[in-house]
Amino acid sequence: MALEFDPAIINKTFEVTDPVEVKADKIKRYCEALGETNPIYTDEEAAKKGPYGGIVAPPSFAVTFRNGRHFFENVPRFGRRGFDAGKDVEFVSPIRAGDQVTLSSHVKEIYEKTGRTGTMVFVVIRSTLKNQKGDVLAHIDHRFMNRP
Amino acid sequence: MSSFEEINIGDTLGPLELFVSKDQCRNYAKIMGMGEIAGRFTDDAAARKEGLPGMILPGNMSLGLLSKLVTDWIGSSNAALTRISTTYRVPVQPDHTLTIQGFITNKNPADRTAEVDVWIENEEAERLVTGTATVAFRK
Repeated sequence: MALEFDPAIINKTFEVTDPVEVKADKIKRYCEALGETNPIYTDEEAAKKGPYGGIVAPPSFAVTFRNGRHFFENVPRFGRRGFDAGKDVEFVSPIRAGDQVTLSSHVKEIYEKTGRTGTMVFVVIRSTLKNQKGDVLAHIDHRFMNRP
Repeated sequence: MSSFEEINIGDTLGPLELFVSKDQCRNYAKIMGMGEIAGRFTDDAAARKEGLPGMILPGNMSLGLLSKLVTDWIGSSNAALTRISTTYRVPVQPDHTLTIQGFITNKNPADRTAEVDVWIENEEAERLVTGTATVAFRK
């Protein structure tokens, strides 16, 4: 299959989400689900004495805002079904309880790869998370693998 | 872990042995709002319909466990996890004991960072999820 797509989609922001408030309770439930027990994520007093001076989310909380399926409402999928092949995450600033987080996303690259199991098409979508002050919190490259 | 000066290439992270139950997996998917969109994270029958052997852990949950390995290692040291990359090689199934571990592969004194390889393996020592991470040490 020739890999056909409009090159104009590369690097063009296709989605900016409405702000989502990071509630301390959501961080707490995330920690419980992962088995995370460090009190700087859940306990106000411990967090105040910690390196960030208040409750922050574990770094990996950054990947929980958008899990990816809906990206393909705006981006070609190149196949019947895709799956999450991996992620590259750069943690820039801690996500704090009370932050209002927005994500803007664009297609970073699209490429084909042929392996033992045949041809695969990779679609890499980059999401940038910012808080209410406009500070970048994280960059996430979502690597989706599709089979034509 | 202590200071940048005291760590060495080859130092290990973990191993952390973790039995992840189906309920824990469902709970994660539910909290993250993934259950409604993908039954493969909550239901064996739905997962089998997709050609999977049964329920699987969300990729983000694996990323979370690998990040936790690194932040547990950092502990109260003056350092932070600044980057992680993951590759989902083989679906991770709940109701298994997972071993999560890593080791330092490089130290860069110029910017006081350490690179680590991290991975999750099953009881057969098969690497299901592999990754690399960067830890930055403050002065």
